[in-house]
Amino acid sequence: MTTVLEVRGLKTQFFTQDGVVQAVNGISYDLNEGETLGIVGESGCGKSVSVMSLMRLIPMPPGKIVGGEALFEGVDLMKISDDEMRSVRGNKIAMIFQDPMTSLNPVLTIGRQVGEALELHMGMSKSEARQRTIELLEMVGIPSAADRVDDYPHQFSGGMRQRVMIAMGLSCNPQILIADEPTTALDVTIQAQIVDLVKKLRDEIGMAIIWITHDLGVVAGLADRVAVMYAGFFVEEAGVKDLYGDPRHPYTIGLLGSLPRLDAERGRRLVSIEGLPPDLIALPEGCPFYARCNYRIDRCETENPPLRLVAPNHRVACWIDVTTAQPTR
Amino acid sequence: MSAQARAGLRPETEGKIFRPRRTLWGDVWHRLRRNRPAMVGLVIIGLMYFTAIFAPLIAPYEYDKIDLENVRAGPSREHLLGTDELGRDVFSRIVWAARSAAFVSITVTSFGLALGTFFGALAGYLGGWVDTLIMRLGDVLFAFPGLLFVFFIAATIKPGLIAWVKAIGLRELARSGYVDYLVVIIALGLVGWPGLARLIRGQLLSLKRRDYILAAQATGVPTWRIMWRHLLPNAMPPVIVAVSGGIGGVILSEATLSFLGIGLQPPNPSWGAMLFQYYGYWRTELWPLLFIPAAVLVAIVLAFNFLGDGLNEALNPQLD
Repeated sequence: MTTVLEVRGLKTQFFTQDGVVQAVNGISYDLNEGETLGIVGESGCGKSVSVMSLMRLIPMPPGKIVGGEALFEGVDLMKISDDEMRSVRGNKIAMIFQDPMTSLNPVLTIGRQVGEALELHMGMSKSEARQRTIELLEMVGIPSAADRVDDYPHQFSGGMRQRVMIAMGLSCNPQILIADEPTTALDVTIQAQIVDLVKKLRDEIGMAIIWITHDLGVVAGLADRVAVMYAGFFVEEAGVKDLYGDPRHPYTIGLLGSLPRLDAERGRRLVSIEGLPPDLIALPEGCPFYARCNYRIDRCETENPPLRLVAPNHRVACWIDVTTAQPTR
Repeated sequence: MSAQARAGLRPETEGKIFRPRRTLWGDVWHRLRRNRPAMVGLVIIGLMYFTAIFAPLIAPYEYDKIDLENVRAGPSREHLLGTDELGRDVFSRIVWAARSAAFVSITVTSFGLALGTFFGALAGYLGGWVDTLIMRLGDVLFAFPGLLFVFFIAATIKPGLIAWVKAIGLRELARSGYVDYLVVIIALGLVGWPGLARLIRGQLLSLKRRDYILAAQATGVPTWRIMWRHLLPNAMPPVIVAVSGGIGGVILSEATLSFLGIGLQPPNPSWGAMLFQYYGYWRTELWPLLFIPAAVLVAIVLAFNFLGDGLNEALNPQLD
């Protein structure tokens, strides 16, 4: 299995009036060919910032990628010129966004927006791009694609627009598709359709996917591997079955415990994680989860645990072995 | 049997879309057409530019044809609105003045729009010190009372411009009075752009944070193309409204300058200059000498304002 993307120590900060917001704090991962990596975490944990950094789409200033590298096809995406980065975006690495209602330009027809990447990256003429756009729209399941290619975004429903966004993302056959919460703004039945569509297209085209979400349910059905993010750190990373079946980080355990389950006994109360995530401007010296952790020991307050291998392909950033330790509170 | 057939639809209609297909601008036109004042305005404006283009065919005489035998004649078959103190046909001068107004309004607006769009887009999209520099420059221009500043520019550049035109050997041009047009266009154009630049900058500041701009960046669209294809078309509606009202303002400003003697001067035909020329007779010959140029001016300025209001409603349908 070849690795298409190697991210090492990626670190992004925002220099604001209130102080330095440490949004992403040195995350590292590999993405293999055709693999789907899910990144989960709560709002503000740095999921989006981590992939926006990868695409170098962080607004600068106030944002800044202060460290790390991202090796893609032998080059470090953090070091190449803006022009070179532009030829990667939408071409070899494409991205789809959370809100399909606002991610399409209201004054351009669907055809022109989907065709833009084709004209820019594949050097297609207008009519070639239009022809290919119709094929792409058919591929993502838009009925009467040839008729609808000249329609404007407001003539499409939310689910249809997300299909258009996916067609845009896949137009140049990217090696990596980054999906930043693409189903969050959609209702549940449409979510399921979109997830099925992405799965189908992934199997046909074979691109790798980084799928960001706070919905553990969506990721379970889609991802090969899942990384859990907390306060800008990866706290656990494992194959999807291991993560759900054998979570090793107290935060992951808490997240999974907070999910309602159809097979749970009646009357079982949902567990919540007490407290709030730390302020990213004033991160604690030790483990960022210390204040909320049920397994904490003194060492956690002063030393932030690095990711360590606890099982094959299963990394956890915790000093404790939750399989043997007892909760300390 | 297909689902459509079961539903009673004929098979040949299967998969077809029944909505009338309209483009965005077709939609705007559809709404504008139902706005009566705006349509009246559009007709008047159309009439003015039509007159301007075909002035030589419509006007029975040249605008500067002097007929000393026939001085200050009343309306007649030969001279529909009579003649002035040099025997020039008033109707012809009114018609030719439409050409002056049209020429000045189009050039000044294009000039102001070009400068305003360029500086506004630069300031809004790039931000930082570019933004500060351009906007402070605009503030300085704004700080002067508008018309006074136009007088100042017009009065300052006119002698220099005439001297320069003579110096490069175009004596005929210097004497012809066409330099007046250049003076008016430069003065009004220089003063007109900061308002548009501000408007466009404000639009871009809010638009550039939209998701679809981010999506375009994520598709690898180059900066200039994001500006032209993605940002400026979205910024257009308020600009169109401002420009439509602004053209009326330009025509009025040209009339004001000409009235005060620093704009177009006779024999150049200008409604403003005609008002100056005839206002001495307001007791005795209000009609038609003074009334006609004044009424034409009022009608045209109103027409542009009606059209501007109509466009505003048509482009922002949530207003009603």
